[in-house]
Amino acid sequence: MLSTFNDALNSERFIVTAEVAPPKGTDLSATLGDAELIRGLVDAINITDNQRAVMRMSPIAVGKILMDAGHEVIVQLTCRDRNRLVLQSDILAASALGIENLCVMTGDYTTKGDHVGAKAVYDLDSVQLLSLISKMMGGSDMAGNELAGAPSFTVGAVSNTDVTKRMQMLKLKKKINAGARFIQTQAVYDVGSFKDFSDLMDQIGPNVPVLAGIIPLRSAAMAHFMNNNIPGIRVGDEFIMRMENAKDPIQEGLEIAAESIRELRDMCRGIHLMPIGGHDNTQRLLEMAGLYNR
Amino acid sequence: MIISSSKPFNEILEMLMDKDAVYIVGCSVCAAKQHVGGEPEVAEMVSLLSDAGVNVIGGVVAKAACSVRSCEYLRELAPNIEDVTAVLVMACGSGTSNIARFVDVDVYPANNTDSLGAMTGDKVIHHLCAMCGQCSIADFGGICPTAQCPKELLNGPCGGSMDGKCEVDPEKDCAWELIYERLERIGRLDLLEEVRDAKDRLVK
Repeated sequence: MLSTFNDALNSERFIVTAEVAPPKGTDLSATLGDAELIRGLVDAINITDNQRAVMRMSPIAVGKILMDAGHEVIVQLTCRDRNRLVLQSDILAASALGIENLCVMTGDYTTKGDHVGAKAVYDLDSVQLLSLISKMMGGSDMAGNELAGAPSFTVGAVSNTDVTKRMQMLKLKKKINAGARFIQTQAVYDVGSFKDFSDLMDQIGPNVPVLAGIIPLRSAAMAHFMNNNIPGIRVGDEFIMRMENAKDPIQEGLEIAAESIRELRDMCRGIHLMPIGGHDNTQRLLEMAGLYNR
Repeated sequence: MIISSSKPFNEILEMLMDKDAVYIVGCSVCAAKQHVGGEPEVAEMVSLLSDAGVNVIGGVVAKAACSVRSCEYLRELAPNIEDVTAVLVMACGSGTSNIARFVDVDVYPANNTDSLGAMTGDKVIHHLCAMCGQCSIADFGGICPTAQCPKELLNGPCGGSMDGKCEVDPEKDCAWELIYERLERIGRLDLLEEVRDAKDRLVK
């Protein structure tokens, strides 16, 4: 394992990152346990920020705790819950705690989560937040005041991979221009259409590493659910049929994911794993995909 | 136009239950057009409240609740308004607030104020303007993302829309989808390449 995520981005190797969720409550054992399952298997653990607008512990705190436990971390930062003051103070806090990697996104709307009456902030959008982080790294805050000590981060952003969504692709280009140094994508099930995305990235961000999102299927029902409810995800009929006919759907889902990863290897710089329910099968998946002991 | 909707009658009744004498003021501009504060609605409210046992001593429709200019004008319009212990205003929030400047009793809203929008025929169009005080609507082909996108995104859509519909309300078109289509139609897709800075959130 290389020492930092940034080293991995600058290397030739195929990168693996994986998502871990903070706890809802003060008990960190499940979060630490999940991270432990992938120790040494991934280049960085990506910590979600009130994912799906469900309230959980701050990913900055969890980032520090996982770093203390010896993990390399990427902390997600959404625009949903923070105005420009708190975004900046959280960015400085992350820096002070030694966090070196951020992944910026708009954030699911509050009504998707468990506090539907919460004020949705969105003071900045993700492009503006990326620009702000670049500005802070240059030594000043958003208002132009000088910072006593500038933070330094490797900052990434997220994207869907459907190139027919022209407006989303235009925004992706803006994200890259605003300072995104890596792009993490929504889960990919259609390698053919990912190729189009990869070709587009060659034009708009040839030096920006793409980490293709991977969510192993667990059942045919899950595939249907995602198709109907998760924007940017499209599981094709062939995979759904394989899941329906599988004796062991979990194993079949892992096989599909491993096949996709093998096909994606030549089209992107790495993968970003977002398994539902934790990392019990992540080692097995990486073995099947030929990524164990890289 | 200010878009308002009626509060449920029971909620109104609850507000006024313990009031000795109530006056009702409607508004013949936006509220009347939307049938939540014109002559027929005020008359209906007088009768519904009276039937429910509330002592309603009068009802009137102001030319525009938001441009009532003095106590004298209001007294002229509604001579016995000073004898009441509560006024129910069937207008938008600003109309209700304006009326409250001129009467020293409890003032209650009969409506909820929803957005700044438009009406074409009987079709209400919500959220056309967010009254941000820094109009830059030409950058977006006349479709304001601050008003129409729940996340107020200025540089393009979030990843949450599905089949062109909004993440927050699947009945609603994604504002950015509309902006893109409109700018494509008028040959101004170049406007989308620009990075838009964050707005000042000053309430003017």
